[in-house]
Amino acid sequence: MSEKKYTKDHEWVSIENEIATIGISNHAQESLGDIVFIELPSVGNSVKAKDEICVVESVKAASDIYAPIDGEIIEVNNNLENDAAIINQDAENEGWIFKMKVSDSNQYSELMSEDEYKQFLEQ
Amino acid sequence: MPINYKTGIINEHKNVRNHSGIFDVSHMGQILIENNELYLHKLEKYIPLQLKNLIKNRSHYSFLLNKDGGVIDDLIISNIDIKYKPYLYVVYNASRKKEDEEIFVSCAPNAEKIYNKNCLFAIQGPDSINVLKNIIDIPNNMNFFDILISKYDYNEIIVSRSGYTGEDGFELSIPNESAENLITDLLKNENTMLCGLGSRDSLRLEAGLSLYGHELNENITPIEAGLSWALDKERLEDKNLNGNKILSDQLKNKLSNKKIGLISTNKSMLRDGMTLFDNNNNEIGKITSGCFSPNLNKSIAIGYIKSEFNTDNPIFCEIRKKLELVKINNLPFVKKNYKKNGSVYE
Repeated sequence: MSEKKYTKDHEWVSIENEIATIGISNHAQESLGDIVFIELPSVGNSVKAKDEICVVESVKAASDIYAPIDGEIIEVNNNLENDAAIINQDAENEGWIFKMKVSDSNQYSELMSEDEYKQFLEQ
Repeated sequence: MPINYKTGIINEHKNVRNHSGIFDVSHMGQILIENNELYLHKLEKYIPLQLKNLIKNRSHYSFLLNKDGGVIDDLIISNIDIKYKPYLYVVYNASRKKEDEEIFVSCAPNAEKIYNKNCLFAIQGPDSINVLKNIIDIPNNMNFFDILISKYDYNEIIVSRSGYTGEDGFELSIPNESAENLITDLLKNENTMLCGLGSRDSLRLEAGLSLYGHELNENITPIEAGLSWALDKERLEDKNLNGNKILSDQLKNKLSNKKIGLISTNKSMLRDGMTLFDNNNNEIGKITSGCFSPNLNKSIAIGYIKSEFNTDNPIFCEIRKKLELVKINNLPFVKKNYKKNGSVYE
């Protein structure tokens, strides 16, 4: 699997064989607090980077999740339907939210590396 | 006061329902008003109680009312002696300090704000009595809404058996210099923990309790807010009370809106400000408070709907441009657990 990259909206992305796996960062999970519900995106939808595609509801607020890159949604993490708190426990592995077939891998290389994301958080 | 401490809102909430939790509510207003006939008479223009008949060492839930009977603030008012002098001790909302204090001082020029020198802590939940009684003297026969003076660290503190979570509990007004010691002493008991604003909100919402700025504001009367039980009915005939005519009319006639409890039928979250519809897409009301209920494991809400709406019909809530079915639920969502006559009652 490729290096994990991050967006300014606190999503993480990793790519394997042109399939991107996407979730929210551990930092995002911590600031949202207890997550109680996630409205998963629809499989088969084609989306553009920055499109709002699903919503995470925590005890504090609803938070939109954006597509980090262009592509087609091909799979969602159905385990989250029954237990959205998986995101609190393991945001960057078991708490993945959806997978996309990537249309333009250049968009991925423009995202932040883990170190760059850490610096971004400190700003 | 933070939204939550380290373990999060849901854990804090459950700890209060099952054991005990401590809220630092020192941001709230606290004022001492000399208990004399002139001041009481002036205050009775705003407060719908017979202030001269308030029983010593008891607290009352009440309001400050504007000239239309709208709620300037909701508050707890207590009759208590401090250093052998009779006072009314009032606890009121932080967001309404300016409005409330203008009224208090106009009625009683020497009213003394004490929130700069006294912290206010609420310890809430069924184990609170056990956490507290080793540290502060609490008489066995102290009931919900009783209030008294006790001692800690050689300082006098005001102890009331009250709170805003639906659970048994206490509020402690304590001089700043002793506040940290008290919290440290309380936290030595592993059944209690510090809790934040998030769980304070979900606990009061489960208990069906109103919050100023949500269920209550200057355009809503206590009767419209379903709180007529807190009004002294004789005072509604008294022209000295702000809005007395409007309030007594409202008590006799049908209201245009009613307060309801709602519960989500799926996993979607109900939030303040969302609009409610009937099955013909007509707007029938709005949500004023919504949250995730840790006890019911579903989202719950309080809102107002038109009185003429027949609640046997389905209600929909607009959530992100979609209409989701919601169900009416009697308030409170979780039964209250207050102490009365030596036993805990609902």
